[in-house]
Amino acid sequence: MTNITIEQKELFQFLNAQAPFSELASTAISYFIKHLQIIYLSKENQSQWFDSNNPSLFLIRSGLYDLVNPQNEVITRLSQGDYFGYPSLLSGETIKNSLEVQKDGIVYLLEQADFDFLRREYKVFEQYFVRAHANRLLSSHYKKRQDNWSDRKISELMHLGAVALPPDASIRQAAKKMSASGVSSIMITKEDKLIGVITDRDLRNRVLALDVNPDLVVTHIMTSSPKYIFENNRVFSAFQLMLRHNIHHLPVLTEAFKPIGMLTSTDLLRQQKSDPVQLIGRIYKANSVANVKRYALEIPELLQGFSHKVEDISLIGKLLSGITDALTSRLIYLYQEEFGLAEVPFCWICFGSQAREEQTLHSDQDNGLLLSDDITAEQRSYFKSLGEFVCTNLASCGIKFCPGNIMASSDPCRLELEAWVAQFYLWIKKPSPSSLLNCKIFFDIRYVEGSAELFDNFMNKLVNIPKNQLFFAGMATDINRNSVPIGLFNQFKLEKTREKEPYKHKFIDLKKRGVVIINDIVRLYALNYSVRADNTLERLNALAKLPDINKTDIYNLKDCWRYLTQLRLRTQINQEGLPSNCINPENLTSMEKHQLKEAFYLIKQAQQAVVFKFARGSL
Amino acid sequence: MILKIPKMILHFFLRLNNLNKRHNLSCFDVNYLVIDLELTGLNSKQDEIVSLAWLPIVKQRIYVGKGKYFINSQVGKLKQSPIFHGLDTGAIEQGKPLNSALEQLVKLIDDSVLVFHNASLDWAFLLKAFKDYNISIPTEKIKSIVMIDTMKIEHRRLSRQSQDMRFDALNLERCRKRYHLPDYANHNAFTDAMATAELLLAQINNMSRSKALLIKQLL
Repeated sequence: MTNITIEQKELFQFLNAQAPFSELASTAISYFIKHLQIIYLSKENQSQWFDSNNPSLFLIRSGLYDLVNPQNEVITRLSQGDYFGYPSLLSGETIKNSLEVQKDGIVYLLEQADFDFLRREYKVFEQYFVRAHANRLLSSHYKKRQDNWSDRKISELMHLGAVALPPDASIRQAAKKMSASGVSSIMITKEDKLIGVITDRDLRNRVLALDVNPDLVVTHIMTSSPKYIFENNRVFSAFQLMLRHNIHHLPVLTEAFKPIGMLTSTDLLRQQKSDPVQLIGRIYKANSVANVKRYALEIPELLQGFSHKVEDISLIGKLLSGITDALTSRLIYLYQEEFGLAEVPFCWICFGSQAREEQTLHSDQDNGLLLSDDITAEQRSYFKSLGEFVCTNLASCGIKFCPGNIMASSDPCRLELEAWVAQFYLWIKKPSPSSLLNCKIFFDIRYVEGSAELFDNFMNKLVNIPKNQLFFAGMATDINRNSVPIGLFNQFKLEKTREKEPYKHKFIDLKKRGVVIINDIVRLYALNYSVRADNTLERLNALAKLPDINKTDIYNLKDCWRYLTQLRLRTQINQEGLPSNCINPENLTSMEKHQLKEAFYLIKQAQQAVVFKFARGSL
Repeated sequence: MILKIPKMILHFFLRLNNLNKRHNLSCFDVNYLVIDLELTGLNSKQDEIVSLAWLPIVKQRIYVGKGKYFINSQVGKLKQSPIFHGLDTGAIEQGKPLNSALEQLVKLIDDSVLVFHNASLDWAFLLKAFKDYNISIPTEKIKSIVMIDTMKIEHRRLSRQSQDMRFDALNLERCRKRYHLPDYANHNAFTDAMATAELLLAQINNMSRSKALLIKQLL
């Protein structure tokens, strides 16, 4: 601080503790101080500071400001130490975002010429703002828009206020309360927990038609352990649940299982325009295999129309997985109609991308059958032909056979409960390359159809297999065998298509070198913290709530995942001979290249963190 | 108490000022020169200027790099603790004779509205210093001087709100707190001039709230 004058002292102390200046020589700070202008930024005067022809860098010293995008959505809240204005300085584009002043304050302003001088002279300064810009783009890229109804939260759609009665109320009381509240269904709750539902239809079918005494308590006629949905789930999930179980009323609960309202199919129909949800509805009602296949043919076209509308990219994967679930369920139903119901409980399960609800149009089948213990040879052959029936028909619906044979049609994937558990036990206890690969596929597991009880039983057993350090270290080491395509000096490392192709292409595999690494890292954390979710984003959301986890890392991974997924989907449209999921970075704008590098950089950091945490840095 | 003669002169100037054309300008359009002095005491007859700083505000922008800071190398007796000023004898020795600073200042004062926190005190010291160093200011120049006192603005505001005023309610730090302006750790003439400049911007923005605000409303 020797060359700092008394004039600069106060500002120097602030700036010296502030990125990127904390990394810079004090001459850079002196320069900044000499050229900065102090302004008082208020709601009334804010517009005078933002001029696209004369952009500036702003550094907040005090006050609170919301950064708002052209769609009027808040991107982030800015406070002391935050910068804004740099996107226009870097890109030369006009100012797009605006500010909403929450609390007036002091802001330091640096004009373009002085900003450019610092960029030129100090690499760290340049990198800091380029990276900040990339991050800003990353997070505004997937900014959720509310114009797609199926992407909305349940809580925005339902009528608040649970109409409920205790279990000792009479049927007559229930009817009276429903009538007085003007609703077609009522929840039965005990100590604020949902235990049953009664609908108009139940009053007709289970009371009037059967001459049941209306003075009996409601528990006689209610549907106990009804289906329900959480307020934070998407409307899309509610629709799926209703169609699949043919129900018209869905209790809405908080995450603490407290009932807060009822969602009806009428509420949903009011929202619905024409879209994939209808297709799922038709699949669930298809009365022949031929019809199932006919509907499945509509998927690609429908998806194309739909993908333009959704902003939240994770919905596409959910939608495709939802369709595959619907196809599977219906095929199982049709099989049982023809060959008789299964005599013992079974459960159709799926793995990999279908389980994570991250399917793409290129995803192949990953499924299996979970059977009750102690079944007869005859029952075994019943399930063998069930597996073959469903897998074959799924393939003709456009969902390709699994090259690794992870399908219910193959014997190793059609096991009784104990055999499945033994299998997992072996993989966990003896981490070898092949068992680690199996862990990666099979630990993304989800129930599709059949006995939910059997599935729960299975999951409980899986969770209880003790996982030792060696297992996690093995997984962590395995994750680090894969690397992001960034070389020394921050350059992209490109792969080449094989010689036999008509043209040679250089490319980056976004899936293998990006998305897969994130999935693997997140799965490892999920296993370690016993998070029971299968979707990568849901796992991240659940992890973010845990106390001893670094939130920034989680949000970074989320940003990267979404960005890469979005880019992946976008490039599927314009392939030009590249393998699927691959892009040629030369076709990206310079800003997109920066973003992509930023994403890979964050993934690399997360990889290193995993090694540090689970393999004790033993690489 | 502050000397009677400078106060009388001050009032005389202020009366002249009532005819000044600048009074009807918007307070957002004029340029300001924010001045702060560091003194050895409160009596302009016997106390001295330790240091002197000023900063311009042009179009509501405070130009830190165009500010000036002078230490008076001729200051005789540091009555107050030198640490309070952040100045030791070494710093004083590196200072300059006050007249060079005053000569620069005189050239600036007719271009801008002058701003002080507690104008009567600082202005009294400046007038005395101009006299001591034989720097004469032409009468037209004096006529055109417009002075704004952020302390007075705050005093008026608080009286109007009939708020209880503690003895230190009007010091710079407390005034700034009311506008949620940042705390400054360094106390020297330059930081205080900067702090006063920010206070003025906060005051005029809060007084106007997008309505017109003329200079005469600040006097």
